[in-house]
Amino acid sequence: MPEHTLKFSFSTVTDTAAFKLLELPTDLSKAIESSSGACSRWTIKGNPDEDAVLCTADKTYAIRSVVLSNSVLVATAAVSEDSGDSSVVVRDRLQEIMELVLSVPRLHKLDVLLRGKEYDEGQEEDDELYLGEAQDGRSKFTYQEARATLQASDTELDQGLKKRRVLILNGELRPISPPYLNAILELLLTHLVSLSLPHDSASVDKLCSALADGYDIRKDVCEQVMAWFGDIIIGEWSMDKTAVVREIGLGLLRPYRDESIRLDEFLAKWRKSVGDTFESLVSADLLSGNYLAQTDLLKEPPVVVLTYFPSSQLPIDPAARFTDLFLTRPRWKADEIAPFLADIVVDAKERDKFLLKYTRALTDAEGVWYTARAKYNG
Amino acid sequence: MIVPINISLSSPSDGNTFPPQLAQFGTEGLVLIELQGKLDVVGDSEGQTIGTLRIDDATKKSTLRIGHHLLEGKLVNLQKPLAVLHRHTPPSVKSSGEDYSDAPSHGDSVSQSAEPVSWDVMAVVKRKMVFSRRPMPMVGRASAIAPDSKGGTKAK
Repeated sequence: MPEHTLKFSFSTVTDTAAFKLLELPTDLSKAIESSSGACSRWTIKGNPDEDAVLCTADKTYAIRSVVLSNSVLVATAAVSEDSGDSSVVVRDRLQEIMELVLSVPRLHKLDVLLRGKEYDEGQEEDDELYLGEAQDGRSKFTYQEARATLQASDTELDQGLKKRRVLILNGELRPISPPYLNAILELLLTHLVSLSLPHDSASVDKLCSALADGYDIRKDVCEQVMAWFGDIIIGEWSMDKTAVVREIGLGLLRPYRDESIRLDEFLAKWRKSVGDTFESLVSADLLSGNYLAQTDLLKEPPVVVLTYFPSSQLPIDPAARFTDLFLTRPRWKADEIAPFLADIVVDAKERDKFLLKYTRALTDAEGVWYTARAKYNG
Repeated sequence: MIVPINISLSSPSDGNTFPPQLAQFGTEGLVLIELQGKLDVVGDSEGQTIGTLRIDDATKKSTLRIGHHLLEGKLVNLQKPLAVLHRHTPPSVKSSGEDYSDAPSHGDSVSQSAEPVSWDVMAVVKRKMVFSRRPMPMVGRASAIAPDSKGGTKAK
């Protein structure tokens, strides 16, 4: 029977605490094995006051430390100098492993960081003024800073910026003001028609020049807006019709936060502003997670009315979000509440877990309703 | 702060690999050994002998003898693979290496240092060698104990 001598490391100073064990979810271990060493790298991100996360190229994982009651020795091979037979060297002794749990990108800080940095109409000429202002006190927040400080993978950061409609101007992040964005989109639609360009391969240059000449819209702003709503391939813009129609609808709905608007009236308005060509795409479903629909029974016949209720402005913490949702409405249908949870869960399984934890399900003739769990301690 | 993790699954840096009987418990360059309790060392452990590891080819059982104690181990497949991370120390900063070793985690204590800390994934391990039982005392084998062995296992 072969014998191996088990030894402690010869350089305890450099080896102690130099090893960590990281439990890999299946997809990550497959990614490592298939890449055969030449693959990308991961990063652990977080400020000292945050829980660290591990970011791959396109995913974010929360890191949890699990303390073991057993100890794990990390052993490597070594050849002993005297006899030449192999020995096993214990490099480090570990009492914990790190677990990875898939998590949503932590981009919520972005909204706070970008507050007051909005890019609006009329700022085109005031750019230097703005720069001067920035030197006075308002600090710039650049794309590089966002990459370094936000706990999200690069792909998720880019998607998050796109979703929040944030422009990158001279490296600085500037969210576009919603009315201005809507104005640009409507201009783009009308110019597609007036220049008789096809919406699936429109010349970026022509559109940008038309908007720059006629309305003083900066070309780089226009190009970035076009990239959000479609793909730019070799100077040609293939418009994402649904996304444009959706954004215009959102812009129309936004003023109805406190008062409501009748559904049919809203849809008519919406159809009018997108024009004949895209009228058929208009549908209230596009705006799910941004409105509340209610049947006004006082009117005769009863009408459906909409109010603007964006899920992006609800609290991030699940408990606080459910409290908010149940303050807004005492009970919810499953398909009504789902859009308002989509941005805090990674998948339907996690959503159901939250529903189980924070709500009580009731079944009646109309289906399943979710109500708040009774809380007597507030 | 950002801590980069490089994925470099190369063969062991010093070229030393385990013989096949040992490599079957982990990878060819790295094996995880799990003990119930921990190794309690008095004094300086640098380069000291812990004990003798034997592997029975037929039964795939391993035994570890530490001093008067004999431990029986077995091969356990991990539910999820473990990546073994090794702190990457650039060769130029030998002097500050000692400071690093005082910081066992990626905590803030190393965040402000000039040299950014990075970690390498040196192996992905799917098995481990587990010594889960209490050590059995061995009688009459005192002569075989290495004189410099200070190791001992403590069962919980």
